[in-house]
Amino acid sequence: MAVIEKASLIGQPVRKFDAPEKARGATRYIHEIDLPNQLYGKILRAGRVHARIRCIDCRKARALPGVHAVLTADDVADNRPLGHSKDNPPLKGGKVRSERDEIAAVAAETPEIAAAAAALIEVDYEDLPPLTDPQSALAPGAPLIHEERADNITRTWHYENGDVAAGRAASDVIVSDSFRLHYVTHCCMGVSGIIASFEPDGRLLLYSNTQVPFLHKREFAQLLGLDPGMIRIIQPPIGGGFGSKLDIYPFEPICIFLARATGRPVKLLFSREEEFIASPTRQPVIVTLTSGATADGHLTFRECTTLHDNGAYTSWGASTPFVMMQTVSSLYRVPHCRYDTTVVYTNNPYAGSFRGYGNLQGTFAVESQMDRLAEELGIEPLEFRLLNAQEPGETSPQGLHFKSCGFRDCLQTAARASDYRSKHAANVGRRNDGAAIKRGIGMASMLHVGGGAKIYPSDGCGTILKIDDFAHVTIMTGASEIGQGSETVIAQLVCEELGVPLSAVTVINNDTDITPWDVGVHASRTTFIAGNSAHRAAGKAKAKILRAAAGLTNMQVDELDLRGGFIIRASDGEALMALDKLIRKLHFQDKAELVMTSDYYEPPSVGQDKDFKGDVSAAYAWATQAVEVEVDTGTGIVRLLDVYSAHDVGRVINRLGIEGQIEGGIVMGQGYALTEELIIEDGICRNPGFRDYKLVTAPEIPDMHLYFIESMDGEGPKGAKGVGESPAICTAAAVANAIHNATGVRITGLPFTPERVYRALHPESAS
Amino acid sequence: MSRKVDIAFTLNGSPSAVSVPPDGSALDMIRDDLGLTGTKYACGEGECGACTIVVDGRPVCACLMFAAQCESRNIETIEGVALSETGQAVTRAFAQKGAVQCGFCTPGLVVQASQLIARQPHAGRAAIKRGIEGIICRCTGYTKIIDDIADITGGND
Amino acid sequence: MTALPKAPLYARPDDLTEALRLLSGGEATIVAGATDLMVQMQAGKKPLAGTLLDIGAVDEIRGVEKTAEGIVIGATTSMTDILEDRMLGDVVPALVSAADQFASDQIRNAATIGGNIVNASPAGDTLVPLLVYRAEVTLARLKGDDIIYRTLPLGEFLQGPGTTAIARGELLTHIRLPLPPVGLGGRFYKFGTRPALDIATVSIGLGGRLEEGCFTDIRIAFGAVGPKPFRATATEAALSGRPADGATIEAAVAIARGEIHPIDDVRASAWYRAEMITNMLKRMLLDVAQG
Repeated sequence: MAVIEKASLIGQPVRKFDAPEKARGATRYIHEIDLPNQLYGKILRAGRVHARIRCIDCRKARALPGVHAVLTADDVADNRPLGHSKDNPPLKGGKVRSERDEIAAVAAETPEIAAAAAALIEVDYEDLPPLTDPQSALAPGAPLIHEERADNITRTWHYENGDVAAGRAASDVIVSDSFRLHYVTHCCMGVSGIIASFEPDGRLLLYSNTQVPFLHKREFAQLLGLDPGMIRIIQPPIGGGFGSKLDIYPFEPICIFLARATGRPVKLLFSREEEFIASPTRQPVIVTLTSGATADGHLTFRECTTLHDNGAYTSWGASTPFVMMQTVSSLYRVPHCRYDTTVVYTNNPYAGSFRGYGNLQGTFAVESQMDRLAEELGIEPLEFRLLNAQEPGETSPQGLHFKSCGFRDCLQTAARASDYRSKHAANVGRRNDGAAIKRGIGMASMLHVGGGAKIYPSDGCGTILKIDDFAHVTIMTGASEIGQGSETVIAQLVCEELGVPLSAVTVINNDTDITPWDVGVHASRTTFIAGNSAHRAAGKAKAKILRAAAGLTNMQVDELDLRGGFIIRASDGEALMALDKLIRKLHFQDKAELVMTSDYYEPPSVGQDKDFKGDVSAAYAWATQAVEVEVDTGTGIVRLLDVYSAHDVGRVINRLGIEGQIEGGIVMGQGYALTEELIIEDGICRNPGFRDYKLVTAPEIPDMHLYFIESMDGEGPKGAKGVGESPAICTAAAVANAIHNATGVRITGLPFTPERVYRALHPESAS
Repeated sequence: MSRKVDIAFTLNGSPSAVSVPPDGSALDMIRDDLGLTGTKYACGEGECGACTIVVDGRPVCACLMFAAQCESRNIETIEGVALSETGQAVTRAFAQKGAVQCGFCTPGLVVQASQLIARQPHAGRAAIKRGIEGIICRCTGYTKIIDDIADITGGND
Repeated sequence: MTALPKAPLYARPDDLTEALRLLSGGEATIVAGATDLMVQMQAGKKPLAGTLLDIGAVDEIRGVEKTAEGIVIGATTSMTDILEDRMLGDVVPALVSAADQFASDQIRNAATIGGNIVNASPAGDTLVPLLVYRAEVTLARLKGDDIIYRTLPLGEFLQGPGTTAIARGELLTHIRLPLPPVGLGGRFYKFGTRPALDIATVSIGLGGRLEEGCFTDIRIAFGAVGPKPFRATATEAALSGRPADGATIEAAVAIARGEIHPIDDVRASAWYRAEMITNMLKRMLLDVAQG
């Protein structure tokens, strides 16, 4: 038989499995799914930020022809509060605490009738004074957002290592700043939606774009008093996630209540305006950071306090300190650290999880101060960073153990590629040359988990794998696909192991009735954990196949391998038997066997102890971005010209996929830095649409130069680590440093809109 | 019973007839009455381009057009554009070379890119960026989209 | 007794007389590109009244023509047609520049110059260069079987945010521009926070040339710094015939600051708008001064 040449899929530009049908417009997202006999749900929202609800009159709404149910909090017995603070009842009775509050819900024959009915609901409000400034919410005697509580403090976080006082004493320079990080929102192009249906057998079927199907299943069960086995979640293709779908939000149980009340399936979709008003945002933070260093350039301490505006109800934004404290304690080598957060209720919108999960905010503060310290010390900023960058084998004081670590490589690669040192110096020299247009170059790095984050008792993922008589492989993975290409990476790893082409693989990842458990798509964990799980399941299948092949060919298992759909002789690649033929032999022999394997991979990380210390991820990843900007000092317009982005990824598995994640993340970081701002005034969103919420468009993108450092993580699949969040994390910090390089002015509040930059450059005329 | 307007037009090369409310949008007609769901609702106010269709040979936002205005016009949606020669080249390039992640903006992009290529067969990168400036993508950072169109037009040379 | 025919829900006449008859016959909502109307209707600001009257097929009010008297642009000429018109690009470049910075390709293909005028946004992109080029608008209405026209300067036609001098039963049919003086050129500057899909934060239209080192034929218009776009006549006077030097420019820019009435809104503060008008006008004038 023929000799089959070795050809690896790892590192190749593999096209995304579902790309062709997406490109043709054939993919059916949740918006395109219709169940027979379905009704349409619509939520009436408060539109005001703080009020008592005196009375809700639904009579006219209920009387409208085509309306099948109108529900308020009083109509639903199990209107139990959601969220990990259990403070967010799906339907609000008694009190309004934010603009997005869900007052009532309608199910009707058409979306138009549902909207008309919602408009007929009459609510008698008694307005209360709004509390929209987090500082004011802390003041003694401030009105209580949640009146059953003693005050407006949702919770506090505290972390420390070493001795900050000693760190201060040892410092030759100390810098202190207050940074203001703002509201932005996910802007997934596909608006939120859910379909709920109680099936004839009594089970609850949900079509949901959740990123955590198994956690949701359990939470819905608790909420509704159902056996979790009675709930099935199917995940249609998603029009973007970015962390927006990691929590249960009121519209989801509300839709279930409507389905239960009407006995019919109910489909509930947001409008774009509703998406802006009602979706979780990124966590806004006021960060006060003090950092110190010695004259010879070593960091001594960081002391950080933050005020987190929790909004009216608690979602994942309140837990971003979990990530922020890691940045403050472990991004660069710092012996002493103290971190404190106060999370406070207000009548503002609440924040959820959003790509980077607090790390953008923390890195903005830390990396702005790295440049400041370098300047105070008179040390070249790259040199200063290299002096403090960790190396493989180090453990941070918080207990993060850096097995693979490409930090120094990232710094040096980004600096070399961008010609950082000479440009930085030259730009400083040109600050006072009288030209209106100034160039700047800035650098920032980031550290993020790259092998999961043990935030739940299990951080694992399960895979079930079967191979049919025609050598077609079906992979059932718990890991959801949210547009990032996880299904393709998983398929690549399996194909690499089994020696079959990608066309021989089907991935099933969207039905909780079929797939094994996975904690969810977050923390950049999917390639690492789901990848490892699939890789190991494939390994078990390979072992079984080769054992059978050894028997049939009278060879040893270690003389054989799988390649190109064949069992081959490992030494020279000669094909010995077609894989499908072997599978059929196994199947139709006397003691019939099928090739079915499974694996559950739990990464070797530990949960943190009560002091937040512990090696919480199986791997950590770094990135450094050097960015070049052009600042027009006459208008404040900042153009992002180039981004040199160096990423420690362990190993590139899908070149197209990883580049796509980096490029998309850079533009998301660009938006956070320069153009995006959800304008919340007195708790009301003033720009709930794309006209005045400025997303980056094609003519604005920088030239992007990507560099991958393959530090070959020992635990990651083929050495890979997670990368999904990293490219968005340090862009704003790099831009801040670049603006400072260009103008000598440091701006500590985002975004760097032209007006904000102009004000900072012309403080005399602003006053 | 609300009154409707009867309209007739050419849709993806074939005659089509629908009854529509006078104030309904072409987007709603295409998705709900005609069942062609490749054209997407993402903002409903012409700011994102996800609903891009071709009317008498020019790309427009279906959300900003009254359904009734389709009367006697030549309408093409992604379902038709994807089958054209240029459309096939674009969908193939986008699918093979990383321009698709969540895919929600992709149909509008395919329509717009096909029109751009037809009008400017040798468009350089700057012209391509301008050509797709009306389409918002949240996933890809546009780079591969621009690369893939430029591969077709020779704009990378 | 025969029942009166119901007014049609939707009409797309191909004849101006027929369009005016439908307009004068009862309630009608005029639509051309629908790019503003649809957004306003969805927001509940402009409910559909009576007949949806689509004037997009009336040939005599679309197209661009240059005669000895000047340029005539049909009201339903699209922004793309304006952008691609070579003659307009040569003779009235600021108008073409405004069309180039207008929204996006998809919007430009549908939006019409007449729609932009009648929408009368304080930030309306084409309004500023049209003022620079001394545009007049022609309105038509039906009297009996005859079409009656009247023409008035654009500055008078625009009355305030979203308000014009258009009367009931009238249709904007043409925009007329006298041929600009030779060498006038014309620049349009639109300040927004990003290049595409942006409503102007401020906009400036400038036409002018140098004669013996002095500013001549200076026309300046501002947008988004008042209830309507307007000609900055005091600023023009401070430049006309004066030497094209730094001192003249500084003085003129100070006067410009006094002519504008910017407001604070979600896009920018009044202070910043004033700063941008002065900074960018200065740059544009310096540009003219340097030839």
